[in-house]
Amino acid sequence: MIAANAQLDLLTLGAHHATAIPIAQPTTEMGWAGWILWLPLISLIACGLCAAFRVRNKLPAWLTVGFLGSSFLVTLGLYFQYTEPVTIELFRWIDLSLGTGTDAAGFTANFSLYVDQLSLLWMLFVTGLGTLIALYASEYMESDVGAGYARFFAGVSVFLFAMSALVLGDNLLMLYLGWEGVGFASYWLIGYYYTRPSAVAAAKKAFIVNRIGDLGLALGLYLIWRTFGTIEYSELFERLGSGHHATQAGGWSVRAIPYLLMLGAFGKSAQLPLFVWLPDAMEGPTPVSALIHAATMVTAGVYLLARMFPFLALDAAAAPTVAWIGALTALVAATIGMAQYDIKRIMAYSTVSQLGYMFLGIGVLTTFGAAYHVFTHAFFKAVLFLTCGAIMHGFAGQLDLRKLSGLRQLPGWRITSYTMLYGCLCLVGFPYVTSGFFSKDAIMAQAFISGSTGLGLIALVTALLTAYYTFRVWFRVCAGPVKYELGDDHHGPDDGEGHGDHGDQHGHGEPHAPRLAINLVLVLITTGAFLAIFLKPWAREMVMGSTARNAEPHSEGHGFWQDPHKWMPVVASITTIVGIAIAWHFHLANRKAADALRSRLLANPATAWLPVAMENKWYFDEIYHGLIRLPLWIVGHALAFLDRYLVDLVIVDGIARVPRWVGRAFQPLQNGILQSYAVSMAGGVGLVALLVLYMPQVIKLLEGWLGGGGGG
Amino acid sequence: MAEKLWFVIPELILFGGAVIVSVLGLSPRRVIREQLPLITCVFLAIAFIATPIVYSVERVDLATGLLPELGRYVKMSVCLIGVLLAMLSVGLIDRRLEGDLGSGRVPFDALRTSRGEYYAFFLLSLIGVMLCCSANDLIWLFLALELTSLPTYIMVAMSRGSRKAQEASVKYFFLGAMAAAVFLYGFALLYGATGTIELTAMQSIFREQRLAGDLNPVALVGLILAILGVSFKIAAAPMHFYAADVYEGAASSVTAFLGFVPKAAGMIALIALLATVGWGAEGLPQPIVTTLWMMAVLTMTLGNIGALLQRSVKRMLAYSSIAHSGYMLIGIIAGPGLGVNAVLFYLLVYGLMNTGAFGVLAGLERQGQEIETLEDLAGLRQRHPAMAWAMALCAGSLLGFPPLLGFIGKLYLFIAGVEAGQLPLVVIAAINSAISAWYYLMLVGMPILASPSPRSETIVRTPAAWPRVAALLTAIAVVVLPVFAQRLLDGAAQATEGMVDATNEQEPRGG
Repeated sequence: MIAANAQLDLLTLGAHHATAIPIAQPTTEMGWAGWILWLPLISLIACGLCAAFRVRNKLPAWLTVGFLGSSFLVTLGLYFQYTEPVTIELFRWIDLSLGTGTDAAGFTANFSLYVDQLSLLWMLFVTGLGTLIALYASEYMESDVGAGYARFFAGVSVFLFAMSALVLGDNLLMLYLGWEGVGFASYWLIGYYYTRPSAVAAAKKAFIVNRIGDLGLALGLYLIWRTFGTIEYSELFERLGSGHHATQAGGWSVRAIPYLLMLGAFGKSAQLPLFVWLPDAMEGPTPVSALIHAATMVTAGVYLLARMFPFLALDAAAAPTVAWIGALTALVAATIGMAQYDIKRIMAYSTVSQLGYMFLGIGVLTTFGAAYHVFTHAFFKAVLFLTCGAIMHGFAGQLDLRKLSGLRQLPGWRITSYTMLYGCLCLVGFPYVTSGFFSKDAIMAQAFISGSTGLGLIALVTALLTAYYTFRVWFRVCAGPVKYELGDDHHGPDDGEGHGDHGDQHGHGEPHAPRLAINLVLVLITTGAFLAIFLKPWAREMVMGSTARNAEPHSEGHGFWQDPHKWMPVVASITTIVGIAIAWHFHLANRKAADALRSRLLANPATAWLPVAMENKWYFDEIYHGLIRLPLWIVGHALAFLDRYLVDLVIVDGIARVPRWVGRAFQPLQNGILQSYAVSMAGGVGLVALLVLYMPQVIKLLEGWLGGGGGG
Repeated sequence: MAEKLWFVIPELILFGGAVIVSVLGLSPRRVIREQLPLITCVFLAIAFIATPIVYSVERVDLATGLLPELGRYVKMSVCLIGVLLAMLSVGLIDRRLEGDLGSGRVPFDALRTSRGEYYAFFLLSLIGVMLCCSANDLIWLFLALELTSLPTYIMVAMSRGSRKAQEASVKYFFLGAMAAAVFLYGFALLYGATGTIELTAMQSIFREQRLAGDLNPVALVGLILAILGVSFKIAAAPMHFYAADVYEGAASSVTAFLGFVPKAAGMIALIALLATVGWGAEGLPQPIVTTLWMMAVLTMTLGNIGALLQRSVKRMLAYSSIAHSGYMLIGIIAGPGLGVNAVLFYLLVYGLMNTGAFGVLAGLERQGQEIETLEDLAGLRQRHPAMAWAMALCAGSLLGFPPLLGFIGKLYLFIAGVEAGQLPLVVIAAINSAISAWYYLMLVGMPILASPSPRSETIVRTPAAWPRVAALLTAIAVVVLPVFAQRLLDGAAQATEGMVDATNEQEPRGG
């Protein structure tokens, strides 16, 4: 299946990297770059203080926006100061050296920054978008001012601190710290409406599913340390590049490293089989969905694989595995997205699907394509989520695309509608005017070259489905005749003034249109999504200057039909336009046709399963429930029974009694009488003195007894 | 002479503070008397700032003592924890009288109230610890140790207006005097065996003796007696019997003081005494290792087992204090480098978390009495959330729960033990750690998870907020400092730099 040239050859890659990878050198200057991390931390403390002093205005939001904005400015400053990869030590954190001579081993993980083009690329959009989304949230969350407002912004600050540590850390432990940190922040923010059981369940689900991936990452980290003796990137790449002896030996524990890293990445970035948490994560406030679950956090997995890209070469099948998992995820998520009605959920599935493209890019060795898609996707997916959020905010929680129509004709909704249109165009990759087009093409074309025809076709089919389901949303919600129902969200996030004003719980009132902060952010990010088109050469330069650099395999021929990079724009454009046309037919021109098709499919017993299964997400949750949760539940209860009646009663209580019996036995010594204490002390001293005087004899005796066990 | 005086500048500063505090403590005006803790803290802060200046690199290079660098780390740690301990004492020395005064039930009486001398003794005792690290002869060491302990006897007695405190004080004094006699006897034997009281001279004599053959048996017995006597200060077996009674008898703020200050002095004295024979290439003499080994095992085991049965939180923490001395002895056995660094680091760590735990007890009261039993802590979270969390964090740290500070401290001790080839000892310590989880988890669980008992519902905050501030600060430190653990450890490593060189100079004995 996999073309031979897709196989990374360990030795050649090693040799290649030894000369080509720019390895960071430590620098003592630029300590100020640490403020990228400290500012969000200060922001967290400020929000905490606001919560402690019960601030009842928007102060936490402005503080957060200010601190995060400053963090972005520092990142910009770092970018303009940047000349070559450097590591900046902020402070020494863990530095253990054990053993001496040939047994010497060490574990060093300092709080240092690894600044190269890859981490800068990531940091620029992480801090930039983070600031804008905090600004958006200042308006979006206003109904919670005084209640959970400070808590929300504290969560955002924690997230940005953790994400910056993840991206900028110069060793895998700091990456792991950030990794867990963003997981925690995501749990915190998904469960923001902690009185709502579904939000709590979603938060738990996200956390637990992520744990599976984290386990992989932790094990991978350990194996890397075992194999290479360090977890600091600069040394790691040096040792890998110089063909470290351990990799030559190449036991299973070395070959497992890329798969374990992959497991971590798939958990965090919601890929098969661990993608189930992301759609549920939409229970969080929308800015959170935009920031964490679309633009930044979920790309951490892509970052991990891009950062550790040379390690994929440790096993020949690793890169193809990434490619296939990515492609299948893209396809599966797109089919699920086609059948959903909740627009935010559709966007969630489209995120999963686009992340699949990014992994496909990594797997077919175009780190540039993957990173560029991450970059463009961050912008347009933020736009899409924020417009969904604006709609949800304005229509009292209404997210059902069957109950919204013709928004672009409503006063005050024009900016939302058209920014959403541009977001949709980017997502489907509309030819030449959208950044999504260029980034997706880079991946799809490469899939045909260094992957296989199968991978390429899956990617193309997914592009068709993407065009359909994306424009299904836009044609339904923003186009067509004006018709809407307000939601019935009178206890959740968006009641606030929306419902207070209307006093109607069943949604026949007026929607309230977004105001300055939301519109400003929408326009800014949309502009960013557009400008990203021109950043393609820049992004290529950024990736190629980092450790993720990789010579993308070229196609064998140079004719039009022989080089996928040449024909892909045309084919992809046609695919996209066909997809949009289908959506136009079913969801704008002839909306009844869609329902008719659905009922026809349902009526025919041979095809009835299809729409149902798609609506039910191919029963992934149910399968996991049956295969994993149920057996675990049974085993758990059985063990609990054993624990209670066998282990606890017999073993634990038995063992626990021993120290207590001993304690009781010694209690008479502790009788509170001065003289007896003095006698005990003197007796103790006397015994020890005697023991020392007759030491040689005693040692002989002890050695005879214990075989030299005691005494050191 | 001038050289010696230069390094005791921090002590002189504190001595000035002690004089000023004791004079102001006689003032008939209430306002002045109430400022005494603040003045104490100010002098501690000045000494803290002065220490790194005093121990500047060029000065230290000229110094001739046994452990020239030790002072910087120890004095700064002592000042730091001293400030916290002073905060802990505000308004709690003779708590009932202070409470009555505060509510106006009793008029201010210059003869009875707001004990100025308490803070003077407090500072004098801290000076004793600091002097221990400059000690280069046995007389100095003895005086420094006694300067640490003598004020504490009085502090215990004056800390509460109850007979229990006086009983504790008397016990502490007599047993302390006996221990002093033991180590003084040991010192005398050391002098007899070597003909010198200077530690550096003693070191070279021992080195010659070991090169020639074995250590002089008189010197060996002297060392053992000195170690045993000093182990009273760290409450190690078999000299630990006083600890539970005395800790329970004293007020919480004084108990916190007893848990850290004499222990620090004892540990430094132990390090200094053992540095004379040196760990070196062939290690400590076998009898001493065996003695320390048994002491470590007995101390941690007896401490943890004793704590298991307690319902009184103070007694529980007293036994836990014994157990922690046992853990620290692992580092002492492991020797310079990792071991002693870990001990110095752990001293600071233990000082912080111990202060925090007692700070919670000190900062709350019921009807003018400090809280005593576990039931008093039940469901604390509902009415005093900050104190409940502070207790939980400090107890978790004492248990050594990752990623809290106590975990890091214990980790370094255990690593040092393993590196020194003391695996059995580390295994015993780990088992002990597991046993200790039993009672530490009660201290975590009771305030956070249990529902309030009728006893705990009547608990109120003390009028003075400072003890609670100190408890909160330590709780924060327990969470935040692990990030900076490497820095602190670097400080400890710097403190023992000269020591590693000195012991490495020893040539292994031929054959």
